[in-house]
Amino acid sequence: MSRLLSGPLARLGASWRPDRAQKAIDAAQQSGLAAALVVMGAYFAVSAPRFLDGANLVVILLQVAVIGIIAVPGAMLILSGYIDLSVGSVAGLAGVVFGGLAAGPMPWGLAFVIALGVGLAWGLIQGALIAYGNFSALIVTLGGLTGARGLATLIQGVNVKQGFGNGFGFLGDGSILGVRTPVMLLGVVLALGVYVWHFMPVGRHMKAIGADKDAAFANGVAVRRIPWVLYMVSGLCAALGGLILTSQIDSATAATGTQMEIQVLTAILLGGVSFQGGRGTMAGVVIGILFIGVLDNGLVLLNIGPYYADIATGAALVLAAALDAFYKRIESLPAGMPGDEPEAGGPAAHEATPALDARSES
Amino acid sequence: MTDISPLQVRAVTKRYGAVTALRDVSVDFFHGQVVGLIGDNGAGKSTLVKILAGTQRPDDGHLIVNGEPTTFHAASDAHAAGIETVFQTLSLVPTLSVVENVYLARERIVGRPWSWLRRLDKAGMLREASDKFEQLGLRLPSLTARVSGLSGGQRQAVAIARGALWGRRILILDEPTAALGVRQSEAVLSLIDTLKTQGFTVILVTHNMEHVARACDRVVVLRLGRKVADASMEEVDKMTLVGMMTGAYE
Repeated sequence: MSRLLSGPLARLGASWRPDRAQKAIDAAQQSGLAAALVVMGAYFAVSAPRFLDGANLVVILLQVAVIGIIAVPGAMLILSGYIDLSVGSVAGLAGVVFGGLAAGPMPWGLAFVIALGVGLAWGLIQGALIAYGNFSALIVTLGGLTGARGLATLIQGVNVKQGFGNGFGFLGDGSILGVRTPVMLLGVVLALGVYVWHFMPVGRHMKAIGADKDAAFANGVAVRRIPWVLYMVSGLCAALGGLILTSQIDSATAATGTQMEIQVLTAILLGGVSFQGGRGTMAGVVIGILFIGVLDNGLVLLNIGPYYADIATGAALVLAAALDAFYKRIESLPAGMPGDEPEAGGPAAHEATPALDARSES
Repeated sequence: MTDISPLQVRAVTKRYGAVTALRDVSVDFFHGQVVGLIGDNGAGKSTLVKILAGTQRPDDGHLIVNGEPTTFHAASDAHAAGIETVFQTLSLVPTLSVVENVYLARERIVGRPWSWLRRLDKAGMLREASDKFEQLGLRLPSLTARVSGLSGGQRQAVAIARGALWGRRILILDEPTAALGVRQSEAVLSLIDTLKTQGFTVILVTHNMEHVARACDRVVVLRLGRKVADASMEEVDKMTLVGMMTGAYE
């Protein structure tokens, strides 16, 4: 038996453990960002004394709750090699749909469900065009970003609807078991996300679609249905996020969720999910979400003006791109395994590996 | 080899428009035999492989699996019949680990449906894959390492092992050594030897006469869509095969 692959394969044995090296890279991706988060937190704690107040930490969680709820399906889309830029606008659309309906005779519960349904339907249509029609995800959801915002403004009309009562107010300001409702909802979405991402077959399937769609298809992965469903979940979560924001300010304005897609995307990419798809963890996404929350909150406490917050978010996005390039660089290094150098007699051997690697980047 | 043939091809014809890719081809495959399928470009090798893999349907003729006449309508039909095909592209996902690739879209789950404990059986899959790799004499640094860190030969070995893990009887290898160097090719050919001793029928599609001579018991030669030779390796020599492939002996 062991004579088999006694050449190249057997000698790879003991010393080099690519699995350990890869796990170290994975850990570094998360712990690196976690360390940056701690450093940033320490800086804010020193320069803005109120930063570490219990009340302020709750504020941070409340601020990131909506971004986080939307980022979970968003990260799964990026993992699968897709993107949803329409989330901020869909949040605004869901808010004004709810406002328009709840301001009339309709009970707020029904309006709430219909508003969620609008988000789901938006995702269903976008997802169908992208997954089944092979339309560009970037362009379709960019259209969604503009279109949903326009539609929201149209529906809002001249008078912003407000005052939806205590029942609906519970969504944004209530508490469940001592935890604020949006934070509780974030917890539930994160738990479901971890389960789907790491403990169900579909998590691996998303990774496979993102890394190599043809290979995934050849193995029987549902390469169209999975992103389609993810777009629906993304639309649903965007609508839920929009309704939470609407509840918090108790008024349904079409501006709700403006530019939220940028913050969601920044959190996801900072968390180490590759923009090319195929790589990423839920733990990284959680750290990315907290990073965005702490950054925004700290800058507000430092009271240096809103423009700096935008500049900082832009810088964080560029940093995320740099990290992505760096991780890819590390991963594409030949594993450098002893005894497996390309052979003189086989020029094709030199071509084999790059050809396979190239597919992973497409 | 007189036992019942697990897979027979009967008078298969396949046309693509005006082109006849396969013309009235019949072949019998037997247990524990490595059959080389050779031919020049356009001979019909790929078409025959696709029909056996279930991704193409013949226009005429049919297959006989364990004595039952049948035609595969989809890759899953071929899989159900115990036939696995390793295509040249390998279909491995670089960012997934070896074991994740082996079980991709066929993951094992523990826990009852809708139970909270229902989840991927990661330990079970790793154990089963390790056992299988050991049976095949394959030693990789780690089954939990990502495929992106493996060499071309190792990837080929993983793809073949995946086929062997899921295929019960027949493995079709489409140009498994085309992208490999000498030593890595030898490793793959040794793996084919091991598969043979474990009772697999291996259909080896290749251009390489050395590899046919080294690994095969029998060789089937296609030329312009027709079967022009079907002989045991003792009966033919390399020159004759090349002549038959190119038509010099017609």
